[in-house]
Amino acid sequence: MNLYKLAFKNIRRKKLRSALTALGIIIGAATIVILLGIGAGATSEVQEQMNQYMYDVVITPTSSSGNLLMEPQTVSKIKNMSYLYDFREVTVFSQDINNTKVNFEGVNDWKEIKDINGTTGVVINKDTSDKLGLHIGDKITVNDQQLTITGISKPEQSVYVYLDQKIAENVTGNKVSAIYARSHDNPNSTVDEVQKQVNDVSVVTKSDKVADLQETNNQAMLFIGIIAGIALVVGVISVVNTMMMSVMERTKELGVLKAIGFTNWELKGSILFESGLIGFLGSILGVILGIVGIIVFANMLHFTDYIPQMMPLWLIGGVIIGSTLLCLLAGLYPAISASRLNVVEALRNE
Amino acid sequence: MNNNVLEFENVSKTYKMGDETIKALDGLNVTIKRGSFKAVMGPSGSGKSTFLHVAGILDMPTKGIIKINGKETQKLSSKEQAKLRRNEIGFIFQRFNLMSQLTVLENVMLPMIEEDTNKALELLNKMGLSSKADKYPGHLSGGEQQRVAIARALINDPSIILADEPTGELDTKNANSIMQILKDLNQKDGVSIVVVTHNQASADYADEILHMSDGNFVDNAN
Ligand SMILES: Nc1ncnc2c1ncn2[C@@H]1O[C@H](COP(=O)(O)OP(=O)(O)OP(=O)(O)O)[C@@H](O)[C@H]1O
Ligand SMILES: [Mg+2]
Repeated sequence: MNLYKLAFKNIRRKKLRSALTALGIIIGAATIVILLGIGAGATSEVQEQMNQYMYDVVITPTSSSGNLLMEPQTVSKIKNMSYLYDFREVTVFSQDINNTKVNFEGVNDWKEIKDINGTTGVVINKDTSDKLGLHIGDKITVNDQQLTITGISKPEQSVYVYLDQKIAENVTGNKVSAIYARSHDNPNSTVDEVQKQVNDVSVVTKSDKVADLQETNNQAMLFIGIIAGIALVVGVISVVNTMMMSVMERTKELGVLKAIGFTNWELKGSILFESGLIGFLGSILGVILGIVGIIVFANMLHFTDYIPQMMPLWLIGGVIIGSTLLCLLAGLYPAISASRLNVVEALRNE
Repeated sequence: MNNNVLEFENVSKTYKMGDETIKALDGLNVTIKRGSFKAVMGPSGSGKSTFLHVAGILDMPTKGIIKINGKETQKLSSKEQAKLRRNEIGFIFQRFNLMSQLTVLENVMLPMIEEDTNKALELLNKMGLSSKADKYPGHLSGGEQQRVAIARALINDPSIILADEPTGELDTKNANSIMQILKDLNQKDGVSIVVVTHNQASADYADEILHMSDGNFVDNAN
């Protein structure tokens, strides 16, 4: 009989022990899949956001002016600058409706608002609908203007109303909270130029914005990676521990195997195979657990659009291959000590 | 082919315990001819187990030459030694030493190089164990377990069987049945056998009894 079959039987014989060993790997693998999965999801959201900025500069009112909206004069002044073109304005403001603070957001591209029931134009999210008891066709009053609700979008855990940008400008008297524009010039000199000519605005280039987002994202990923790494190391230590105990427990058995003619390499191989198998099976269970965890988290955080991005193949494959390799490594020392056993002494062992 | 299955030339084995050196084997010379059946007796600590261990390449002598089928065992690599143990030597232990996680049949087939279930079943049949093939060792009596161990020792048709007190854990009836099996193997199949035993009745099954004392045979009759 070959020793690989024996390794299988050892795992099956000690089901509870093997399960407990694998538990370290299962938890480690699941933690990595969940944490890095969420990280990957966040990264693709950031990337998607970055792709939306097909603008060279973003102009916003400075918070020191206390006013979060730019006056129409400011807007037209900016839009008249010769080195800027391809403008897109966004108007964001908030207002109380029935004593509830409601956020209004102007929308240029309705594709950004997910899962709309009804039509675009005036879309409230599910939270607004639930909190204020509003439905499609109901009317809301915004700055003394009546708007009819045309659609309801998915829940986001905060109260939002999406207005067509034109409607948003209409109800605010053509005020704007941000202008995105492209520049004929070098974006950095444009920044200086705009700030020289217009008061109380801040101007950032796309690269500033992207760098900002990427920096935040990188830091988050690093943090996640460290935690996930610790989880895996703990799992691997538990495998070293169990395999070592298993070798000590089986001292006599290993002595018998040597006595009936198994080579040192065969013994080493069987122990490595056993620990690798624990790693492989454990990581598969861990990945399954992690995927379940991601789905649960995504639903809790209303992040379900990114579920596919949260389970990239490199992550799942990497966790399975990585855990198996680490467990093989963990079996190395026990395997070497098993092959160094003195047969006569091992046989004396009870 | 060499007529001697096992040869010891001036073999010593010493153990160092602190300042003290223990001579477990002291310049042992012995030749076991193919087809012979020897029993080894002697007081506790006289070196009987040590003799079997170095003969079966489970341990190395401190001095001297050991040959199996004319091959010097100390000169072989550890892989070649393992191969020799597997093919040419069948070990039988006092405590049976079966694998508890394997069935009787799997235990017998464990040392097999090319799996041959029929051969294993035939051997079990010969040991009167055909009905136990799928049982686990824990469900067998001591005598039955020892018969499984004999089948395992025989599975690769070894040149020699080395048995260290194979009847030590058994009652008289089972001890006699094990010794009878060994005697039949020797007489019908020509298997060479060396049995270490404390039991005179068991030893009487052999062609010759070698008496060991202080690491050497006292009435060296070879
Ligand atoms: N690993 C060891 N370290 C030190 N001394 C040992 C070791 N193994 C055996 N000895 C000593 O070698 C001598 C021979 O031991 P051995 O086991 O061969 O005796 P034995 O004849 O088989 O005895 P028994 O009948 O009790 O089984 C004894 O004095 C024993 O104490
Ligand atoms: Mg002994």
